Amino acid sequence: MSVTVRTLSELLMPPSVADSPLSTQEYFVNMGPQHPIAHGSLRIVLLLDGETIRKVIPVPGYVHRGIEKMCEHMNYRKIIPLTDRMDYLSALMNNWVVARTVEMAAGIETNARIETIRTIMSELQRLQSHVLWWGVLGMDLGAFTAFLYSFRDREIIGEIFEETIGARLTMNYIQPGGLMYDILPDFVSKVKKLLGYLRPLINEYDALLSGNAILQERLRNIGILDGKDAISLGCTGPVLRASGVPYDLRKVEPYGVYDKVDFDVVIGTKGDCWDRYYVRMEEMRQSIRIVEQLIDNLPAGPYMVTKYNARLKLPKGRYYGQVETARGVLGAFIYSDGDGDAPYRMHFRSPNFNNLWAVTHIAPGWRIADYISIQSSLDLVIPDIDR
Amino acid sequence: MTEFQQIERKQITFGGKPVPVAVVHPLDRASKAPSVLKGLVRGMRLTLGYFLRPWKVVTRQYPENRQTLRFPQRYRAMLTMIHDSQGFHRCTACKLCEKACPNGSIRVITQKGLLEGVNKLDQYIWRMDSCLLCNACVQACPFGALKMTHSFENAVYDRRLLVYNLNRYAGPPAKVLAAEPDTAKRRQMMEPRGRFDGPLPLNEGLKPVLAKTQESPVRETSA
Ligand code: SF4
Ligand code: SF4
Repeated sequence: MSVTVRTLSELLMPPSVADSPLSTQEYFVNMGPQHPIAHGSLRIVLLLDGETIRKVIPVPGYVHRGIEKMCEHMNYRKIIPLTDRMDYLSALMNNWVVARTVEMAAGIETNARIETIRTIMSELQRLQSHVLWWGVLGMDLGAFTAFLYSFRDREIIGEIFEETIGARLTMNYIQPGGLMYDILPDFVSKVKKLLGYLRPLINEYDALLSGNAILQERLRNIGILDGKDAISLGCTGPVLRASGVPYDLRKVEPYGVYDKVDFDVVIGTKGDCWDRYYVRMEEMRQSIRIVEQLIDNLPAGPYMVTKYNARLKLPKGRYYGQVETARGVLGAFIYSDGDGDAPYRMHFRSPNFNNLWAVTHIAPGWRIADYISIQSSLDLVIPDIDR
Repeated sequence: MTEFQQIERKQITFGGKPVPVAVVHPLDRASKAPSVLKGLVRGMRLTLGYFLRPWKVVTRQYPENRQTLRFPQRYRAMLTMIHDSQGFHRCTACKLCEKACPNGSIRVITQKGLLEGVNKLDQYIWRMDSCLLCNACVQACPFGALKMTHSFENAVYDRRLLVYNLNRYAGPPAKVLAAEPDTAKRRQMMEPRGRFDGPLPLNEGLKPVLAKTQESPVRETSA
């Protein structure tokens, strides 16, 4: 077997003429691994011609912790706290995908209360994640005020998590067979108060940032991702929906209690950065709508249907389950060999990994400043790319 | 729907199913100076509003507000073994927490009690430096011997100071001790343990070697 090693210099083309009358030469620039817009450690190699991007080479792997390999040495309950550390802004959905797959494989039936609380919590987390993303996009594009405003509101949602779960970020709450804790008696009133607080705030966000002509011009018509290309690249979540494909797992393959609630799939028309921006803004309103419908009539029942210390053993076979996180479809693949309570192989199909490669397709031809808009609008969480 | 962004609600068919969608329409060029200015002014008015109403500011001054800091009941920051008012704990050294811990942060060291003839707790070692604060140990304990407490200011210069011994005494759990009426005998069954007592179990690295003192009889240790 032979291995061909390609160096970056092979990619260099002869001096070409950029879209300026000056004769320019192409060169490589490292963006990251330490760069404010990387939101983590992501190295992006840009092939530049002047300020115009000719090629984008993402180099992930700086936050690789081998989570999939670690899963092979853990039982299914111990995997849950590891998944918190992949996409930490969608920690509950990450918990849920493992819990859901294991429940499917082991034939554990949860009750309506568990599923409803899981759905409410996930929607609150989606809201929290989008709020944070909004602020970070503002910061990336130079509006630091937005970042502070979003952190203020994110903390308020975080307080609900802290009271119910005991942690803000790495929660380990949704577990195979149920939840870690039942909700507190004042949870319902607190969530209602929170929704009443957040609904006008999203209009405030619009006033602060969306109405700003500088932001609009930096997002409008930039980095257009065609719907077909988005599907071929495997993009999911708001990135795919902004390109006009109404694919939302919550509608297409409803899990939890999403089939019982009424909400719209938000789609864009053009697939530019603005569409990706506004699809998320509108998704926040939809999340509020979902929680509103569920919070009033929580079914009764236990919060855990299995014994915690009982051995969770899956029958031999391959299992795949997926959920929609704040960034797209997260899938968990478990290959169980039938003996022992650890998976033989565990794989996660993470939304950010596929969404990342969209930059290779949409960024060429744009300037470095536009690249910031493009990567910000993709809403990447680097630890989820590397796992 | 907002004034600069048209959202259209409609029903479309996707994958053979009707899907209600909210379509974000393309943004029109905000090129006209009045609308640009209006957007900027509206944003400035919002920030100025907060500037003029400082009571709406939510910043908390952390080291200064230490006295008033309150955490929710379930806040997880520090694993503790519950000791009742007489200083007795409920741990029976069943090691279920050790098995539930995802990264081996707990080591339950047992000894065979001379008086009772059963395994009892010798040292409960918890490594905070590798703990995920995942709560699995608390959930796994069938006797409710553990809980998470709220002390979060744990920064130290040497990570070995983050290896704690959680039990205040070696010996049988509270239930067994309560059944023993003789105070002298009960005292004999207990051996004091300090917070930093015990070996440094560098994640399954060292097998603990326990010093044999004159008071404590020869005992078997298992790790
Ligand atoms: S909280 Fe989790 S990681 Fe920490 S000691 Fe308990 S089980 Fe282990
Ligand atoms: S703390 Fe609880 S689970 Fe751990 S050894 Fe003691 S009794 Fe068993």
